[in-house]
Amino acid sequence: MLAKEIERAGIPTAFVTALPTIATMIGANRIVRGPAITHPFGLEEAQRRRIVERALEMLETPVEAPTVWEVPA
Amino acid sequence: MRRRGRLGFRAAGSSEGGLTAWELASFPPELLGELPAREGVDVEIVRPGEPVRITHVLDAVEPRVRPDGRAAFPTEGRAGEGRTNRLEGVTVLSCLDFPAEERPLHEQEALVDIAGPGAALTPFSETTNVVLTFRARDGLGNEELEDWARRETLAVAEELARPTLAAEPVDVERFELEPADEGLPAVVALVQLSDLGPLYYQYVYGVPAGRAGLPRPIDPAELLDGAVTCGEYHWAALRNPTVFFQRNRLVRALYREHDRRLRFVGVVLMRGYEQSAEDKQRAADRAAEAVVGLGAAGAVITTDAGGNSHTDVMLTCRACERAGVSTTVIVAEMADPGSATPGLTDWVPEADSIVSAGNAEELVDAWMPERVLGGDTLLDGAPARDSGRIPVRNYLGATNQMGQLSLVGTAW
Amino acid sequence: MRVVHYVNQFFAGLGSEEAAETPPTRIEGAVGPGRGLESAFADGDIVATLSCGDDYFGEHEQEALARLVELLEPEGADVLVCGPAFGSGRYGYACAQFSRIASERLGIPTLAAMHDENPGVAAAEGRVLIVPTAVNVAGMRDALPGMARLAEALVSGRELGPPAEEGYLPRGFRRNAFAEKPGAERAIDLLLGKLAGETSSEVASGFDRVQPPAPVEDLGDALVALVTEAGCVPQGNPDRLPSIRAQGWLRYPLLDEQRLAPERYESVHGGFDVSLANEDPNRLVPLDTVRELERAGRIGRVHDAFYTTTGNGTPVAAATRFGREIAGELRDAGVQAVLLSGT
Repeated sequence: MLAKEIERAGIPTAFVTALPTIATMIGANRIVRGPAITHPFGLEEAQRRRIVERALEMLETPVEAPTVWEVPA
Repeated sequence: MRRRGRLGFRAAGSSEGGLTAWELASFPPELLGELPAREGVDVEIVRPGEPVRITHVLDAVEPRVRPDGRAAFPTEGRAGEGRTNRLEGVTVLSCLDFPAEERPLHEQEALVDIAGPGAALTPFSETTNVVLTFRARDGLGNEELEDWARRETLAVAEELARPTLAAEPVDVERFELEPADEGLPAVVALVQLSDLGPLYYQYVYGVPAGRAGLPRPIDPAELLDGAVTCGEYHWAALRNPTVFFQRNRLVRALYREHDRRLRFVGVVLMRGYEQSAEDKQRAADRAAEAVVGLGAAGAVITTDAGGNSHTDVMLTCRACERAGVSTTVIVAEMADPGSATPGLTDWVPEADSIVSAGNAEELVDAWMPERVLGGDTLLDGAPARDSGRIPVRNYLGATNQMGQLSLVGTAW
Repeated sequence: MRVVHYVNQFFAGLGSEEAAETPPTRIEGAVGPGRGLESAFADGDIVATLSCGDDYFGEHEQEALARLVELLEPEGADVLVCGPAFGSGRYGYACAQFSRIASERLGIPTLAAMHDENPGVAAAEGRVLIVPTAVNVAGMRDALPGMARLAEALVSGRELGPPAEEGYLPRGFRRNAFAEKPGAERAIDLLLGKLAGETSSEVASGFDRVQPPAPVEDLGDALVALVTEAGCVPQGNPDRLPSIRAQGWLRYPLLDEQRLAPERYESVHGGFDVSLANEDPNRLVPLDTVRELERAGRIGRVHDAFYTTTGNGTPVAAATRFGREIAGELRDAGVQAVLLSGT
């Protein structure tokens, strides 16, 4: 999957998805749970901002293995 | 007299300084004494090649006795010094069908086939087996029954070896590690012992692994001389019965290779089934520290049983590699034979050197024994005499992860 | 033995990249490497050669497969042989898929041949017998006899032996055997080998775990790119923009755009209801938020292009190839972090 190939090239990648279980299984390392398949980055701007900021936080955080972060409501 | 590897120092964790040696004297199976009579226990002999299936097996123990009168399976003092006698070619197998209403939580069937397609999966098809079938007793729950069965089995194993005290050995092996060529790589055996609660303990001097101060180094000879015994009854093929410690091929091979291809610098025991992610990581880190403390450049890491004990092993592998110790890990595979999905329960990228103990999910062709000991019905309700194909997973020690046997998974 | 041989447009002599869009076609008898293959059989004839352009197959996989099966059926073939594709990913992928589908739909034995790292191997998912070859056409002469032997073995109906013996790639199944030495001794050998610099293993994990890249120290200095698997593409005619449609992914310039305007972008992903995304494409590719953060200094700079894969149900091997291509471009552009949206 895309996330792993980009990570394999050494670029930290935050993968925002409504299916974090599958993402974990396949082995993406930095995963943020998005609200829905139809709109992983949220419906409204405020929600989108929270999701993006969480993803940015994760990009600045070391991880050891596939890790899923939730977005605070 | 055969000579073995020689060592000049004591492994950390021993009580006194100075050189130690341990001698293991082997005696022929013909010395097997009279079969013991025990109330509540059926005792039978099964010889190699007999068309017998033994079910509900708890443990396999080699008869041992010490000429100096100390216990063969000590709960105090120290094993691995002085001399111990063994009866070659004889195994004591204990069987128990736990009471139906109160079955153990993780219980799984354990079989030994003395003939047929399953015979090659365990070494017990080639020894003379003294089979002790313990019968449930009113008023005794599972843990009390197990305690009785285990103590009795070890006592019988000691009793059966008594005739050796008046006989001459056919062989004496001396286990002693003398100073070796410093240019050879230092290697440790890092051995995992389970503790998942009652009925799932491996014991160190009679203490469950979780309370035995693990991880810690021991003298390799202690492992070979009855310090570690088995009290776990899940994962038949993946667990390590007592005899696999008594006859431990890894430790014996490391003694043999000492001052030849490597320096054998010790054994570290660690616990499998630590109960939280933090505990697992902490134990892995401490095991790696213990290995580093022995001066090892490399470690062979063994596994006990299945499920999340594999996570402990993989975390330990990673911790060792990060501490600069190269590792080779021995694990069993759980691969669906009909599909191309890999069968490692857990894995870390640092586990790049793995010995396969075989695929426990493979099915063994159906076989109908002429006689069944232990119990006539398997745990899943099938008749033991006619149960159809059985997974390798159910054969005692068949995919043990200390490298005792030669079953291996191959790529197809 | 009646054999049908599948090759791509190049090996069928139909042309090179310019013929990559050729739809499935049938040629009488053996063509190109098929002649060498035919002479390697003890007693077999290539009754027909089927061919398809690599790009056509990639873009119209279901139609291509249906048509190829249609062309194959009346030939009365005892076996279908595909390739050798060597290292060519699109060709190897087609060989793997056609082998698999032909076997499933017509019940005839099939085999393919390609380099062991060809994405077609992963695409086969263990369901196709694949003869390993060299990475390029220099290995043609060496590849053909092995293909012929395996084809004959399949037609004979006998049970196949282990991969090393029969000359095919292990398919991911595991079978027990008894080794010459017990595991303990093998472990010591492996460990000493590893300490001497040669690491090997009896089990491949199958878990293709990637080491997580180190975090970005401060995104305020970083170049951040947006990527999506959700098929977000410009509305209307994409051909006027530099698209690489055949590769299954697209790159679009962002220039001065501060958000993805709904009248300019849409999602063509077939796997989910795209109406919400079409109302506001920023729900898939959060350009609006990311620009805000760029203005606020939280992010250094937004990369001047975003990437999107197209279509759903992309098989693993193809997705891997697309991913590597995109990753390569991002790395070459100096991108330091990526926000990726999945479906």
